[in-house]
Amino acid sequence: MSLLKDLRIGGLEESGRDTAKGLSRRSFLGLVGGVGASFALGSFTTAACASPNGHPHGEAAANGKDAPFAPNAFLKIDPDGTCTVTVSKSDMGQGIRTTFAMLVAEELDADWSKVRVTQAPGDSATYGGEGTGGSSSTRSMHGKLRAIGASARAMLIAAAAKKWGVDPAACKTDAGKVIGPSGQTLTYGQLTTLAQAIPVPTGVQQKDKSQFKIIGTPRSRLDNHDYATGKAMYAQDVHVEGAVHAVCLRAPAFRGSIAKVDDSAARKIPGVIDVIPLGDKIAVIATNTWSALKGRDALNATWNNPTEDVSTATLHDALVKAVGDHLEMPAGAKVIEATFDLPYLAHATMEPLNAVADVREDRAEIWIGAQGPDSVQQDAAGATGLPIEKVVVHNMLLGGGFGRKGGGDFGGEAVDLSKRLKKPVKLLWTRQCDMQHDDYRPMSHHSLKAAVDAEGNPVGWSHQLMQAPGGRGRGFGGARVNIEIPNAGMKEGGVDTPVPTGAWRSVENTQINVVNECFVDELAHAAGKDPFEFRRDHMKDERLKKVLETAAEKASWGTPLPAGSGRGIACFNNYGSRIAHVVQVTVKGNDVKIDHCVAVVDVGTAVNPRGVEAQVQGAFMDGVATALKAGITIEKGGAVQSNWDTYPWARMADAPAKMEVYVMDSGADFGGMGELGYPSSVPAIANAIFAATGKRVRKFPAKIEELV
Amino acid sequence: MAVFKINVNGQAHSVEAEPDMPILWVLRDLIGLTGTKYGCGIGECGACSVLIDGQDARGCQTPISDVGNKKITTIEGLSKDGSHPLQKAWIEHDVPQCGYCQAGHIMSAAALLHKTPNPTDAQIDEALGSHICRCGTYVRMREAIKVAARGGK
Repeated sequence: MSLLKDLRIGGLEESGRDTAKGLSRRSFLGLVGGVGASFALGSFTTAACASPNGHPHGEAAANGKDAPFAPNAFLKIDPDGTCTVTVSKSDMGQGIRTTFAMLVAEELDADWSKVRVTQAPGDSATYGGEGTGGSSSTRSMHGKLRAIGASARAMLIAAAAKKWGVDPAACKTDAGKVIGPSGQTLTYGQLTTLAQAIPVPTGVQQKDKSQFKIIGTPRSRLDNHDYATGKAMYAQDVHVEGAVHAVCLRAPAFRGSIAKVDDSAARKIPGVIDVIPLGDKIAVIATNTWSALKGRDALNATWNNPTEDVSTATLHDALVKAVGDHLEMPAGAKVIEATFDLPYLAHATMEPLNAVADVREDRAEIWIGAQGPDSVQQDAAGATGLPIEKVVVHNMLLGGGFGRKGGGDFGGEAVDLSKRLKKPVKLLWTRQCDMQHDDYRPMSHHSLKAAVDAEGNPVGWSHQLMQAPGGRGRGFGGARVNIEIPNAGMKEGGVDTPVPTGAWRSVENTQINVVNECFVDELAHAAGKDPFEFRRDHMKDERLKKVLETAAEKASWGTPLPAGSGRGIACFNNYGSRIAHVVQVTVKGNDVKIDHCVAVVDVGTAVNPRGVEAQVQGAFMDGVATALKAGITIEKGGAVQSNWDTYPWARMADAPAKMEVYVMDSGADFGGMGELGYPSSVPAIANAIFAATGKRVRKFPAKIEELV
Repeated sequence: MAVFKINVNGQAHSVEAEPDMPILWVLRDLIGLTGTKYGCGIGECGACSVLIDGQDARGCQTPISDVGNKKITTIEGLSKDGSHPLQKAWIEHDVPQCGYCQAGHIMSAAALLHKTPNPTDAQIDEALGSHICRCGTYVRMREAIKVAARGGK
């Protein structure tokens, strides 16, 4: 556990304009510091601590009033007892703001009703790396956040003990109060000025798990009221005085460029201010979004398309050709083979990509919902030539992220437009732009071969994962199968393609675990074994086995179902966590109805079980959507699908009537969650379709009429 | 450009707009009510749902010239303080994840409960069937709507 050192430095903090209203923000005296060895210590006094909602992180101790207690950049306690935790990772729906607040509040012994959150600006010098992904936030930050809480609690105790003239060791804390040896109490709010004068202690003991009062208890999201009342602020919701609106028409094909553009009709649209050709896109600038959209529609453009011959069919052929020789299967074993095909997937975040930028000669301000606000700050400093401390990035709430919203492309575009126009710019990607110019989950073709011996034991496994784009020439590596199989390997490769790809919730596990769990099911069938028992009997990982067994038990695995219905099982082990799904479906004609879903999850120590449940429920709907409905196909070098009408996502009626999530506490360390729920959802659905119909799904999204 | 007088959340507004400007953009860009969201622009996702004279309407598909004297209610006007039974149930049952689609869902659910005070699952699925929640909060939404219908129990 990292120890706190005395890192506090007083300093005058000046940041630029406040957030939403364009007001000039007061300078304020803030005591901010860095925590832990991974934080650079030189620059934190210049931290811009404005939050998306405009609450400054520290305020002046003036006019004899009590000052806030702000031992570092992550925590501030006001004289009214409000504890504000500054969250350095992006909230895209996973509830990390509440999780982080819980981690600090636990060790602080805070009064939970007085805990608030504010979002850190893009600033890795002060807050450490802010990139949010890979289910890493809790895993990477729980130690630091708990240390911050524990250290602040020790300072509050020291302050109270000093005031009372008692031994700090004789004091305890509970729900935002220090309690002295004779029962006297002082609230944290009453101690802020005194606590601020206490040196930051080192080596503060953290709680044993048995002492947790907040961690591990279901807590409501701190942002719920804002979400339910329309007050939650996303980047496009900020009002910046004098801002113009921008939308772009983009080349229909990847790597396309403008051949010719006639913008005369667009310029006649009332409200259109300018039309700017930008190589692979044409920006329409207007006084309001609607005029910009109409201007975009009125553009008459022709495009150079260097990738016209690229299509799903050509890529599929190339991927099939890229498959090489399989590993040898043991002589005499029963061998099965299958191929699987997975499409490109768009992230299609509910909030399409957007950003607001105000680039001036001496400073820049950006409002964005980004998974990497610190990179947005660095990129903007590079693009504008401004010193990094003159670039303020307000990281707003993200209306979904799923891996798409690093922030580089859409943030950079807004900065570029504002720099050109010398005005604040609100850039909005239309849904069509967002869907047709995504960094897709790669399309892949999988060739698999596996074998069981005469007793039904798995004895060989060979998986070739060919994706577009994909590296070439790599040999066989670990198979990443959830059961123990001797002679198992996976070889990854693929073909070049201009189709842009990137991380999509759970990244490569959306391919590897999905296909492996489908094919393990086929192997169990070949062995003449029950798919649950087959997995359990050949599983080494005890935590995985436990969630699998519990899921089977909770779902009444093995009990009879009506004709046309079936249960499927699948599991997943990653991010320090484990999960298993049992899904029950009914297939009627070509329709698949999800009747019931049981998921059992072990994230080690769950910080907020209510949040874990939400993530499992939500990721399962991603599974329903991509198992049965959505996929991106390519024609003439561009994406065919452009909106929800052609990229059908799961809707209310697709959600099962019953979705049971069981959060097990295995006592293991804090594990990751955001990405965990998807990779066993899809194969559990596919395996249930097999149980219901006797037909295997080997191409996604599944079309029942095409199954054989 | 023409001047339109419209009633939003009980307040009269006078806005200068092209007659075909959807009320989604009137609300967001001209009046500054940003709780109503853009999600697709083609009426496929419901993020822009508002009430027009109590009826569920898609903000992106309703030009301002169609509004006339009808009363528009947005998420900001559903209650003064988040006390509408649906908002309370939404908060209590931790429905939102990213939150972006939630206002649209709540507004359509409000229209549903107005017509059908005790909806079945099937009626909820149908009434909200043209919405999308990309985070997949559907199970909790269904529950929250039923709780609101039961008066918070």
